Amino acid sequence: MGDLPRFSDVSDPLEWVVSRVRPGRRSKAVASRWGYRPYMVERYLNILGSWAEVGRLLQSFELSVSPSVRCNTLKVRDCGLLVERLERLGFEVKPIEWAEHCFEVVGGVNTVSTLGATHEFLIGMYYLYRGRASLLPPLTLSPVAGERVCDLAAAPGGKATHMAQLMRNEGVLLACDVSRSRMRALRSNVERLGIRNAVLLRIDGRIVPDIFPSHFDRVLLDAPCSGEGLIMLDPSRKVKTSMRDLVRMHELQVELLNAALDSVRPGGLVLYSTCSIAPEEDEFVIAEVVERREDVRVERVDAPLRLSEGVEEYFGLELPDYVRLCVRVWPHIHGMEGFFMCLLRRVD
Amino acid sequence: MRMCAGIRCSFEDTAQFMEGVVARLFGEDTVKVFEGFSLLVCRGEFAEAYLLRGEVADLVKGLLGSGRVPYAAGLYVGRLRKSRPTFVPSVDFLSFLYSGLGGFRRALVVGERGLKPFLYGKDVLKASVLECFEPLSKGEVVGIVGEDGFVYGVGLSVIDSCRGIEGLRNVDVVAENVFDVGWYLRGGTEARERKFKV
Ligand SMILES: C[S@@+](CC[C@H](N)C(=O)[O-])C[C@H]1O[C@@H](n2cnc3c(N)ncnc32)[C@H](O)[C@@H]1O
Repeated sequence: MGDLPRFSDVSDPLEWVVSRVRPGRRSKAVASRWGYRPYMVERYLNILGSWAEVGRLLQSFELSVSPSVRCNTLKVRDCGLLVERLERLGFEVKPIEWAEHCFEVVGGVNTVSTLGATHEFLIGMYYLYRGRASLLPPLTLSPVAGERVCDLAAAPGGKATHMAQLMRNEGVLLACDVSRSRMRALRSNVERLGIRNAVLLRIDGRIVPDIFPSHFDRVLLDAPCSGEGLIMLDPSRKVKTSMRDLVRMHELQVELLNAALDSVRPGGLVLYSTCSIAPEEDEFVIAEVVERREDVRVERVDAPLRLSEGVEEYFGLELPDYVRLCVRVWPHIHGMEGFFMCLLRRVD
Repeated sequence: MRMCAGIRCSFEDTAQFMEGVVARLFGEDTVKVFEGFSLLVCRGEFAEAYLLRGEVADLVKGLLGSGRVPYAAGLYVGRLRKSRPTFVPSVDFLSFLYSGLGGFRRALVVGERGLKPFLYGKDVLKASVLECFEPLSKGEVVGIVGEDGFVYGVGLSVIDSCRGIEGLRNVDVVAENVFDVGWYLRGGTEARERKFKV
């Protein structure tokens, strides 16, 4: 790898990559067979290194994932009671061994719409997820009671409400989002789940450090992204995003990550996550931010289960070593939606 | 006092609210349930009240100091109104109150068969009321509780005390639906919100 150009040697690493993604004949053929944009398949080949593994990834995007529920311990003292009630309704649930109080709904009338309309849901006994990967960021950032926590892109609130649960409703959680309609969903979830330590704020996350500079113990940035890890839940994502869209996303993500770092106190932690497997939205965002700041260090992610390392080389560009500490969830390896997480510590 | 997009938020006298509004409706002993909270009221099209504990209140103070108002904060208490009912509590407020008191007040326990239509926005009929908890007052709010002890919504009582139920027929309304936990799922129209405008 020593001879490859390094991230820091290139003036605009993302443009450098964009200009090199040229789908070959086989990528075009595979893309057309599975209904993808060709540039996507070319990238998968570059990251995974073999057509066999690309095939496994594309195949995994065709499989459905079962919904999951998180028993809301702020309202339910004994999660066994929730399980009993769900089983009485005809659902078959299985504990997720790496996520306490969480269950995969593996059988029965397990459509998301049914699970989102039970009395148990309406009174806030559980939060409903379309997959399991969304459980990872709160468990990884792992806020505790009494801390000052911020979720910079919080709506509709799966991760914010999970963090409030881990904080046992103590301390304070600032939950921000820019979207008016999604804010209503966030508020509805926060009230339904009996969360009382949250402050909801409709704001562009990039402004948060102007109000709360170096303030929080932990900040989650579950960034707006292309959703390239969620193709099994929304096949329209096979064609929705262009390379240019990814570049635009990347710019917003970099600004939001800088805002997250400016609003965490020195010594505090920022978790950056996306539901995307695109390096442009993942490792490139981390490298872009870390290379330009003196006050940040990438930490090893202590995730509740074994995940894959971050991508270190992309279209012949060598990314900084520390991106290896970031983690990826691959649908064909981990049996979940594609996901990315990276933990950053602000240093003095 | 801070104003944003027509909404003004300020911290108000918590004791006055507790004694004048909550204790009047739910009894003097309710005040102890809310010790240590401060009261935030945001007034726009509606007047909405929140109870905040220490760190949450501190963060909101910082926010107001920067000229912004929260979308919501802490424990959502409900709506304050000029005419009766002068206070429409939230489901979460009632849940907090009942669990703090260790029992129900101003509440109707509704059986499963009545709960379903209630969650579709329908009123509570006598036939589905299993238990009634005083005090009740005509035109005032009443908590709608399921057999599982969870609060499912808020109604407006049509009777002045639990004894009033006896004089009703099975198909008569005991409480009108003001808000229920199915509201958001149904796409929560603003029409009903308007009905309880300040
Ligand atoms: C991946 S979603 C967040 C999901 C959420 N964390 C959860 O677990 O439910 C990204 C969110 O970012 C919000 N968003 C987009 N641009 C933003 C900005 N500039 N500031 C704050 N939020 C933003 C979107 O409205 C969207 O709700």
